Amino acid sequence: MPSILHRRLLPLVVPGLILAAWIGATSGEGAPLQVLVPPSAVIDGFNELLSSGELADHLRASLWRLLTGFAIGASLGLGFGILLARSALVAAYTGPFFQAVRQVPSIAFLPMLILLLGVDEGFKLAIVAKAAFFPVALATHDGVKGISKGWLEVAAIYRLSPVRVLLRLILPATVPPVLTGLRLGLTRAWIVLVAAELMAAENGIGQMMEMGRQMFRIDTVMVGVALTGLIGFALDQGFRLAERRLVRWKTA
Amino acid sequence: MSLIAEFPPNFVHADRIDDHDPPPAWLVALVKRARGLLLPVLLAGLWHWASTIDASTAYAFVPLDQIGDRLLLLLSSGELAVNAGSSLGRALTGLALGGLSGIVLGSLMAGFPMVERLFGPLLQAFRQVPLLGWLPLVGLWLGSGEGAKQLLVAVAAFHPLLLNSYEGFAQAEKKHLEVGRVLMLSRWRTFRFILLPTALPSILTGIGQALAFAWISTIGVELLFGTGAGLGSLMHTAQMAGDMGVVVLCVVAIGLMGYGLNLILSLVRARLLRWRVTG
Amino acid sequence: MNAIIDPRSVQADSAPHTGGLAIRHVDKSFDIDGRKLSVLEDVSLTIAPGQFVSIVGASGCGKSTLLRLIAGLERQNRGDILLDGVPVAGPGLDRGLIFQDHRLFPWLTVEQNVLLALSNSDEAAADKRVRVASLLTLVGLDGFAQAFPHQLSGGMAQRAAIARALAPEPQVLLLDEPLGALDALTRLRLQSELQRIWLTRRSTMIMVTHDVDEALFLGDVIVVMQPGRIARILHVPAPHPRDRADPSLAPLKAEILSLLHAG
Ligand SMILES: Nc1ncnc2c1ncn2[C@@H]1O[C@H](COP(=O)(O)OP(=O)(O)O)[C@@H](O)[C@H]1O
Ligand SMILES: [Mg+2]
Repeated sequence: MPSILHRRLLPLVVPGLILAAWIGATSGEGAPLQVLVPPSAVIDGFNELLSSGELADHLRASLWRLLTGFAIGASLGLGFGILLARSALVAAYTGPFFQAVRQVPSIAFLPMLILLLGVDEGFKLAIVAKAAFFPVALATHDGVKGISKGWLEVAAIYRLSPVRVLLRLILPATVPPVLTGLRLGLTRAWIVLVAAELMAAENGIGQMMEMGRQMFRIDTVMVGVALTGLIGFALDQGFRLAERRLVRWKTA
Repeated sequence: MSLIAEFPPNFVHADRIDDHDPPPAWLVALVKRARGLLLPVLLAGLWHWASTIDASTAYAFVPLDQIGDRLLLLLSSGELAVNAGSSLGRALTGLALGGLSGIVLGSLMAGFPMVERLFGPLLQAFRQVPLLGWLPLVGLWLGSGEGAKQLLVAVAAFHPLLLNSYEGFAQAEKKHLEVGRVLMLSRWRTFRFILLPTALPSILTGIGQALAFAWISTIGVELLFGTGAGLGSLMHTAQMAGDMGVVVLCVVAIGLMGYGLNLILSLVRARLLRWRVTG
Repeated sequence: MNAIIDPRSVQADSAPHTGGLAIRHVDKSFDIDGRKLSVLEDVSLTIAPGQFVSIVGASGCGKSTLLRLIAGLERQNRGDILLDGVPVAGPGLDRGLIFQDHRLFPWLTVEQNVLLALSNSDEAAADKRVRVASLLTLVGLDGFAQAFPHQLSGGMAQRAAIARALAPEPQVLLLDEPLGALDALTRLRLQSELQRIWLTRRSTMIMVTHDVDEALFLGDVIVVMQPGRIARILHVPAPHPRDRADPSLAPLKAEILSLLHAG
């Protein structure tokens, strides 16, 4: 019994203390409102953003950019990854450049893309696609390369038809690493998109936070921080769930 | 993020070469290597060509010789060195501060379930917020000065080392700890000769990730705050001024420095993990 | 069950005076999900200083548990374990333990592994190194001081583990199937080496093995275990160093095998 109490209650101690300190600091002659507002004000701010439809607009804008950019980057990454793994020629001509570009953090490309594509949707889609492209391409390459010769030999010994080989061997063997790459690409794309919206955007969660900062609306900023965290978490967990569903044969 | 080496460096496989007229080996090697240069050279050529079409494209695609001029200018004025040094210092300080806290807390969480229960879930929740998602909040609280930047970079380095050192220390094997008991090793020696070596591979992996995150977030905070010295700030100013030449040079410098840092780390890692069967 | 073992008759003049064990009415059980699993019941055994005792028995009958109790890694639920009259309370350098898997630390060289066993001694570092070198010579690992465990073969790693266990000069050396994971030829060679080391060292050795020939080749005394208890204690009259073809061993072997099959 005490051990269950321990497990359930201990994790609540530190958050509870933080909350208490927060409430304490903002009650009565507390900190100025530009620095800290009480938790209730953050909830009010959230309700306000929600009922005015503002939040929905920002969310829609961010998620549209994320999914569109990701779809572009991930499909390019898939295709390029397969080429890179299957064609020695493609690997010889594009491999070194691919490796070099991979060394540069996506964020560092933001100013360049803004100068090239302007501050409209184009540069945001491009940076999201770029962020998704590399992990997906890498994972696909590794997955395709990782198909063991031994398995192919087994397939040859049992004279499996090419269709069988594709369905029973190549796909199951490459799907797990590719899924992992897609998940990585999606979460990275989200991180970079938030940065891009902080930098230049008319709407989106990042822009909402940036406006909040400029107007000293700490409630808006806090709602934004919580939302970016929640969305990142949901994307990651959603993908992990899908991975577990699709790859039940894998241990762990 | 892209600094983490997930990719074998020598994955480029050579083509078959027809052998009816064998050229000298060094020439073959040279040509094989040069093939990788074709794409970047081609892209540079396209870029240069785009710069010559008309004035509007020349704004974005600056001529290559102008980039060269910018490079000489940045080098001779010492601007490049100052800003690169500033970014490097920020990243390494953040790595040291955040990374060390991560290792300490991670090892405490592995050693004491109570610490894990107190802080684990909360830190897990904080970790979900993207690196730069904290930036507006930290900006409101600490302004856009050095303190705010350093804090964000340290937080970026903190999480990977927390996670990896926790996992590393939690891995300590009962069979090794039993040998320690039979040999009557002191607490310190048990830590030094059993726990630490067990955790070391994980910690080094964590340092690699933390370094990558610290570097990315250094550039990110410099770029988004746009204040003070640093390659990110330099790039920010150049973007505002529409100076593509400097932006391109900064991108290249950021990539090279990230690569260099990673290279140094992998050498240290290979040295420290000599005892493993595979690197 | 209570069995007294006579001190070894051979080389009685040089017989050591420490390293005698008395195990009295020892019970040991484990809790598994709240259920009690009895592993040893009322086990008693007396071992004279300097004796070589072989323990044989089917898997799971409690041999390792008995060694771990003597080593102090586990605590008995009832009864006493006395080393030279002093109750065992936890691990100690007077007892060494060699496991079936060598359990060398992969991140330390062979020399560092053995040196670690000397970390409680206040000898000068240079003296320790000399001692380690002579131990490595004793186990036949000259020239491998700087090798990492993964560079050694299974037999060599087990030799290093023997050197490590010998380093603190324990009065009792406990060996839990030390040669179990080795190939047949390496096994035979290491059996002879163990015999030589034992004759050089004159410390008490207690070895668990599945191999009846090995037990007979090395042991003065063979303890045959059946689940949870000692079934029989047999004395081997043949002198050391022992001839594997000694005719006195055959009837003993037959008896042990029949006990093992009965168990
Ligand atoms: N730490 C433990 N916890 C629970 N059961 C154990 C533990 N150690 C040993 N046992 C059980 O005790 C019995 C005897 O084990 P052991 O002494 O290792 O046998 P042997 O070495 O003769 O093969 C086995 O059934 C084993 O499962
Ligand atoms: Mg056993």
